[in-house]
Order: sequence, then structure tokens, then C-alpha cells
Amino acid sequence: MPAQDTEAIILKTFPLGEADRLVSFLSRSSGRMRGVAAGARKLKNRYGSTLELLAHVQMEYIERETRDLVRIQQCDLLDSFHAAQSEYSLATGLALVSEIVEILLPEREPAEAMFRLVLLTAREIERRKEWRIPAGYFVFWAVKLAGWLPPLDRCGKCGAQLGSGDGYHASWSPGQLCRDCRHPGMRAISLPAREVAPLFARKGLEKLSEAEAPGGLVGELRDACLDWIEHHTERKLITRNLLETA
Amino acid sequence: MPDFAAPVERLIDELKHLPGIGQKTAQRLAFYLLRIPAEDALGLAEAIRNAKEKIRACSICHNITDNDPCIYCTGANRNKRCICVVEEAHNIMAIEKTRTYSGMYHVLGGALSPLQGRGPEQLFIKSLIERLKGGAVEEIIVATNPTAEGEATAVYLSKLLKPLGVKVTRIGVGIPVGADLEYADEVTMLKAMEGRREL
Repeated sequence: MPAQDTEAIILKTFPLGEADRLVSFLSRSSGRMRGVAAGARKLKNRYGSTLELLAHVQMEYIERETRDLVRIQQCDLLDSFHAAQSEYSLATGLALVSEIVEILLPEREPAEAMFRLVLLTAREIERRKEWRIPAGYFVFWAVKLAGWLPPLDRCGKCGAQLGSGDGYHASWSPGQLCRDCRHPGMRAISLPAREVAPLFARKGLEKLSEAEAPGGLVGELRDACLDWIEHHTERKLITRNLLETA
Repeated sequence: MPDFAAPVERLIDELKHLPGIGQKTAQRLAFYLLRIPAEDALGLAEAIRNAKEKIRACSICHNITDNDPCIYCTGANRNKRCICVVEEAHNIMAIEKTRTYSGMYHVLGGALSPLQGRGPEQLFIKSLIERLKGGAVEEIIVATNPTAEGEATAVYLSKLLKPLGVKVTRIGVGIPVGADLEYADEVTMLKAMEGRREL
């Protein structure tokens, strides 16, 4: 098979054998894939340092029909988020993005929109030196792109308009419920927080300011979206608990 | 129906739990162990049992040791004013090999890694702060790995420790000895430039 050349974002790496790395990456042309980077943990490896979380790279790999894992031949750094990775709170925001992409996307299905969204989010986390708005924007769009965003103006059970009242969500419920239909243990999302959603939908992340989308409201919306991701993927997000302490 | 006799199957299953060992390698190792003399195989089993029974974590620095506190914490010639912070106990050996460092150590038990659910609470950071309370420690050398997780841990520790009035330094990061600059990637080169020193 000839070598494939693609732009990619590194999602996750694991040590493999003596000095190799197993790499999960999002290819711009082929979607989420996994491959082996032979010798990537050796001190003098030429591309070991490019395989950091959410690094944007130009990657060359070889695919064999009988193998699940591709063989990574070459990696050149296009964008590094090393500065953001060095800050624990920002690294937690980046890790949330990586974890969601990992569990959301099926393997080998092109996801150009998600690729652009991840890159935009990582760049904004690094530029703003703040993760709350970019991560909130990412989580909202991830839910929307997956087709899991429920109507935010009415109850998912009785259909009643929520008006200025709170909506209620939980990771064991696919939508949001009104005050009358809610179950014990559900968390509230206020009207101002729900109004951040259309703002995220129509405005680019690089143009959003803290004044338009205050951290507290973005946090409420992010929390609801994370619940819907956990509900549909039937998995608990590992990084979610660490967001509180980041 | 199992492919092998039950004891062999069990041995293969146990070997498969080791990191980097899959079904085929586990089978090869199992048949190797069956081929070698009984005393060699039992010697290996005894060594594993012995290590598991006698080795524990040092109550001061969390290094692995058979005597608590460990030799670095009790050594009379060690410099008590300096603590080198490492991710794992085996990192200590890499530093000891240089024969230039004679201070104390502190093993964190990993690096901050949100993707693995490892935050500050999961590392031995509180015990490091406890060690600084006597005021005898003047310098902390952060020798975490030069990975994103290691860097995040180093920055987190420096923010936490500097207000306590202790000098916090980081090991140098850059081009390895014997390497060619032509093959250095951007991040490594950037770190090497940032860490340059006057000759």
C-alpha cells in the first residue's frame, strides 16, 4: 500500500512495547484512526515530541488491508499547544475535548466539521489562556453535530414551553424536562444559560467575548451537554470530575 | 474445550496480564518456562514472591524500598536542603547514574493527566508540602518527564511551592547529547533555545 499523507490531530497516545507508542488520531481525510509510531519513546526519535495531546500534525502513514492499526512513518508539527498543555487547568480543557472526540466518533469515518471544531477549540484555549468558553462551545457543537441536542425551549416529556423557568437534565435522560416532569437528582439549566446556545450556534468562537457568554452560564450549558453525551454514549467522562478542580 | 492443560492455560492467562504481553507472547513465555530446569522457573516465582512481600513504599519519599525509610532518606551524606521530585521510583536510578546529585528525592506517583483521571489529589503532593514545613529545604528540583503531562505537573508544582519560600528549578530540556540539530523537531528546539546558558 502507498503511504498516505494527511493532516491529523493527536487524540491520545499509549506506551506500547519497549519504545513504541499506540496513537489515536483524527485524520482530516479519513476520520478517527489508530496507528503505531515505532520508536516514538526513544530519546533521539525524530517525531516523538509531535505526538502530544491535540497536536496538529502533517502525518504520513502506511495502511495494510489485513491490519487494524496503521504504521506511522513521519509526523511534522503544524500547530503545537504545548504552552496550553503546560498549564494544568488548560490541559484539563484540552483533555475534555480529546476524550469527547474519542468516544463520539466512530473509526474511519471522515469528520471534517469535527476536525475544524477541535482545531478551533484548541487554538482558542491557547489564545485566551482560558478553557471555559472554548470548551463550552466545543461541547455544545459536539452535541449538535451528533444530532443529540434536544429542543431547549420546551419539556421533552409533556412538550410544555419552559418560558422563563428552569429546564432540568441528568445523564440518565436524553432531553430536558420541566419543573413538573423532572425527577429527583436532575440539575437545573436556567433561561439565560439556554440563551447561550443560539449565540454559540450563530457566532464564531473567536468572536465570542466573556461579556456575551459569562462563564457561569456557559458552565450550566456545558454541564447539560455533557449529560447528554454521557447518556447517548453510555459512558462516564473521566475528565468531567477534574473540571471542578481545574 | 481448552487448548492446553489447565495449569498451562492459567500460566498463559497470568502472563497476559503483564504490560505489552499478548496471547502469542504469553504462550511463548509459558512454554519457555516449562522447558527450563525446575529450579530456574521456581527461582523466578520465588523472586516475584520475595519482591511482593518485602518491597514497600518509603513513608517519607514514596520510593520503593525494603527498608523504611529508604537509603536516600536515611543516608548521612545526602544533602537534606535539596529535594528532586520525580514521577516514578525508577526515575531515581536515571538521576543516581549521573553521580553528581546527592540530595533527597520525592516520588509523585505519576504526573497530572486529566485523560487518565489523575489530578493533584491523586499524586503525593501533600506529603511533599509536609516535608517543606521544617524550613530546612532550600531547593526543589522538578525532574518530571519532558512530556505535556510532566510540564503541566512542573508548572503546577512551581505555582504551589514558590509562595512557600523555596527555590523551584526544572531540569534542562532540549537536544540529547550525540544528536544532530538537523533532526530536532520544533518543540525540542524551542525548549533548547529557551534553556540556553551563557558560556
